[in-house]
Amino acid sequence: MSSPDLVNTIRKYSSRYSIYLVLAAMIVISSIISPVFLSTLNITNISRQISITTILAFGATILIIAGLLDLSAGSVLALAGVLSVASYKATGSLALAMAVGLAVGVVCNIVNGIIVTRFNTPPFIATLAMQTVARGAALQYTSGQNIYQIGNYVVFGQSSVGPIPTPVLFMVGIGVVTWYLLRHTRLGRSLYAIGGNAEAARASGINVNAVKMKAYLINGVFVGIAGVLFMSRVNAGLPNAGIMAEFEAMTSAIIGGTSFSGGIGTASGTLAGAFIMGILNNIMNLMRVQSYMQQIVRGAIIALAVCYDIYSKKKREARKLGSRVKSEFQPGQA
Amino acid sequence: MSGIVKLEMRGIEKSFPGVKALSNVNFTVKQGSVHGLCGENGAGKSTLMKILNGVYQPDAGQILIDGEEVRITSPLDARRLGIAMIFQELNYIPEITIEEFLFLGREPVNRFGGVDWKKIRQDTIKLLQAEGLHYDPTTQLKDLSVSDIQVLEILKALSENADIIIMDEPTSAITEREVDSLFEKILRLKAKGVSIIYISHKMDELFRITDTITVLRDGSVIDTRPTHELNPDTIITLMVGRKIQNIYPKEDVPVGEVLLEVKGLTSRGMFADVSFTARAGEIVGIAGLMGAGRTEVVRALFGLDPYDSGTILVRGRAVEVRDVRTAIQNGIAMLSEDRRRFGIVGVRSVTENAVLPNLSRFIYGGRLHQRKERAEVSAHFQAMNVKTPDLDTAIDALSGGNQQKVLLAKWMISEPDILILDEPTRGIDVGAKHEIYRLMTKLAAQGKAIVMVSSELMELLGMCDRIYVMAAGRIAGELQRDEFSEESIMKLATGGKIR
Amino acid sequence: MKKLIGVALAFLVCCSFLTAAVGVAGAQEKVYRIAYIARAQGDSFAAWLANAIRDEVARNYPDVRVDVFDGQSRNEVITAHIENAVVNRYDLILLQPLDSEAQVAPAMAAMDAGVKVVTVNNRINDNDRAPAVDADPVEQAARNARLAREQVPQNGRVVVLMGPAGNMHSDMRRVGWQKEFFDHRPDVVILDEQIANWNKDEAMRFMEDWILTYGKIDAIISMNDNMAAGALEATKAAGISDILAYGVDGTAEACLLIRDGVMTSTTLQSAYELAEKAVGLAYDILTGKKEHEIIMVDCPLITQENVEEYIEVHRRAGNIQ
Repeated sequence: MSSPDLVNTIRKYSSRYSIYLVLAAMIVISSIISPVFLSTLNITNISRQISITTILAFGATILIIAGLLDLSAGSVLALAGVLSVASYKATGSLALAMAVGLAVGVVCNIVNGIIVTRFNTPPFIATLAMQTVARGAALQYTSGQNIYQIGNYVVFGQSSVGPIPTPVLFMVGIGVVTWYLLRHTRLGRSLYAIGGNAEAARASGINVNAVKMKAYLINGVFVGIAGVLFMSRVNAGLPNAGIMAEFEAMTSAIIGGTSFSGGIGTASGTLAGAFIMGILNNIMNLMRVQSYMQQIVRGAIIALAVCYDIYSKKKREARKLGSRVKSEFQPGQA
Repeated sequence: MSGIVKLEMRGIEKSFPGVKALSNVNFTVKQGSVHGLCGENGAGKSTLMKILNGVYQPDAGQILIDGEEVRITSPLDARRLGIAMIFQELNYIPEITIEEFLFLGREPVNRFGGVDWKKIRQDTIKLLQAEGLHYDPTTQLKDLSVSDIQVLEILKALSENADIIIMDEPTSAITEREVDSLFEKILRLKAKGVSIIYISHKMDELFRITDTITVLRDGSVIDTRPTHELNPDTIITLMVGRKIQNIYPKEDVPVGEVLLEVKGLTSRGMFADVSFTARAGEIVGIAGLMGAGRTEVVRALFGLDPYDSGTILVRGRAVEVRDVRTAIQNGIAMLSEDRRRFGIVGVRSVTENAVLPNLSRFIYGGRLHQRKERAEVSAHFQAMNVKTPDLDTAIDALSGGNQQKVLLAKWMISEPDILILDEPTRGIDVGAKHEIYRLMTKLAAQGKAIVMVSSELMELLGMCDRIYVMAAGRIAGELQRDEFSEESIMKLATGGKIR
Repeated sequence: MKKLIGVALAFLVCCSFLTAAVGVAGAQEKVYRIAYIARAQGDSFAAWLANAIRDEVARNYPDVRVDVFDGQSRNEVITAHIENAVVNRYDLILLQPLDSEAQVAPAMAAMDAGVKVVTVNNRINDNDRAPAVDADPVEQAARNARLAREQVPQNGRVVVLMGPAGNMHSDMRRVGWQKEFFDHRPDVVILDEQIANWNKDEAMRFMEDWILTYGKIDAIISMNDNMAAGALEATKAAGISDILAYGVDGTAEACLLIRDGVMTSTTLQSAYELAEKAVGLAYDILTGKKEHEIIMVDCPLITQENVEEYIEVHRRAGNIQ
């Protein structure tokens, strides 16, 4: 390989994998400024802390790729969680508790899906409505009070398998499912296609509404699991759980390269995005950064990471265009 | 014709990483002339025009306007220097009104700092009257035809005192009659001393309107000559660098059974009582003016829009086409007229685009067999001469002609019996056109039935075995090969009245 | 669909007007109408208080009707509720202020319009014009702090968990800790102090990172029980048992943790007592028995010695099985 070729190859990979480079840089910097950062315990901590948000982020990734979104994730997480906790307290069955959590997540998201597909409502409004309804239902059911004494329910969130905390296992499992789904299945391809151009997908024989329903359904499963894990981790049924969690989830997805205009995104990118957010919070705590300052830094890093990612993609696009100049002029450049 | 040089681009060089887009391009446009610019996609026309419009900066070279060197660092600069560009694909806000459109981004301000709508209204009326147009200034653009909007674009350019106007494929979306009025307008501009750079693939237009033609190939100027010294064959030869023997490679193949029969297909308000047939080995054309209902019929046939009544028979068996899936399952494939809207999924790779309708074919145990997928796609791309850097390139990055070939490959993979092509060569270059024609011939020879909707009479005449002509939502007549002529089609299309 | 929802909403609104009208019509034997404007139904203490007020009225005041309005933690929403209550001619507004300044003007306007106003659990800066039932947040913290002064070892290392930024309760409790603990114990090191927004999960996350960074931590000083409980989940997971933890509120969860020796102490901010006193005062004002009074509710310290008593209270209320 001649040297310009090598340079080009490096360039190509550095832009394609830009978000992983950001992550790597953060890890290097963090391990320099904090001696405990790379300890096993801290890595475990970070993974556990991001696990629930990341599970939501995988659902958000699937939805955003398909040109959809779910603003109700945090609220449905709370509703699924408290109903799951309540059913455990009533019956003592962990299996039933998990089933209830899943069912609530799925039912709420089927409703989301129906409102979006049957009534052609913008996902923003449809899921915003569900956000309010689900939160209201969770508060109504609990009278706004936390549910305590949930006993053995904590195994979902507080146990470990070997050195790995159970929620992290769930996160990894769901990540693998998301990766496989997006990368290796027909549904995955259909999700990318309808998010990239729904009309073209329909003209290729794809049942757009069915695909959207499936996307919400899968999201529902993820949200339900996240609800169970959340309550189990905090050892209580909290009707106020997960406020704004959907935004954290979407942030992880977007930082990980998922495009809000649809059709682009990967599971591994989202995982990287979630780790970037998690490491950022962690290192700031380790470094004793004051609360208000943390918010400023977090916002700045989100903006920087996304700008860098888009910038490097643009450069890549420009090179592509350069090698095969397009027949059309880019709209909007007049 | 005055001989004053209006614009001169000297020794323009432009490289993108890994590729030389323009090398030592010299391009001179005289005042008050129409200068044709042609070349295959990727020849460098767009890059050159983007440099002139300030989107790109040249690596080397000079630009002179009225003999003075200028630097154009942004489209805004270009506008200030009197350069205006009218895009091939019109981008406009459908809800905007004529007056808002004309003064967009340069609204006059009244003494309170607000927009001076009164002045806008007066100026708009003045502008429209000067051009003999009778629109209400508050008409929304969505209520106007594409050619009307083009005229407004030109008006807008003039009102900004543009004296160099670049037109990129201005006729790709308008009817023949509208072309005439556009050309009248161009002649009038020319008389006023405006210089026009006219980019087109359509030979007849280039010869009708231009004074000089420059041909680009692979980033270099191959030749610049007065139009009257050229003919279409020489231009094509200059463009592709080789001789294309026969632009319409039509072959006669034995015609077989009726594969598709449409009886009395009706969709209220769109088309009524449409009946036609297509046999194995046949290329059947559907001609008609814009708005005659051609696209609507084939969309209904493919399950994209519902129809109210009528029967569709595939191989003699009645099929109720409710959605695209049903159509595909019955061996129908369709290349849509609007590539961007209904064809490509721009951000996804060429491979993903090519296999989209046939995903189930590559599923093994619930998993997409990506090696098989790529092997099949790659074979079709080779057969069709698709130029793409690799199979993972986003389809957006390909030229229009290559995108169209990818979409054709996509339908080849689904192995249809009946292939509907709606404006298959719109906006693509001669080389790619020729390849699509060759493919059509090959498919017909394989015994497929091809239905081609087109606004280009020449290609219908050149490629079809029979032509149905539509007018006002109905089939106005059917022409056999020996009855083919532009006049006979236009007569039916306009309802018998030939202007 | 949209239409259907619209119709349903309109129907609901009509129903509520109707019931209100019935309430007025049935006023032969005087029924007092109280609007309880809660800070936020989503805030678990506020929700507990709202429930307690509803129960108190239902149990002891047959001639009072109370309607609960959700302030959604937003000053403008609370203002709107106050104004609506005036327009709807409620006899009395029982207000749980979100912000001591923001609610002054609308509350004054309501009083000027002849509607009585009583504040509960937080007060407004109106020079004692409105009768009030409140607990002293500084004292709530101070009682824990005085205990901690004895318990935290020399050169002790502590972490502090705060409620939402600018929250009056959080800030005043912090003042209590400052005056009664930190000012007396200059040897104590504050390892870190962060805002966990009253939330259990956020506090848990902070604590996980702190355990890792600082190793030995002697005490968790939390402005409410919820966050203390969250931090204790983290210590439990890390296998730490010898840590002091102080909260405020006296929630059921905190009482159980104190009983089990996990948490050290908390002070009771009893929603039951606040409710009982607030409704009682409101009733006395409505019936003319009292003109004006400011009642401060006590905040007993709960430690392992007396915790059973409070667990019993929670058990009676159904918060603990």
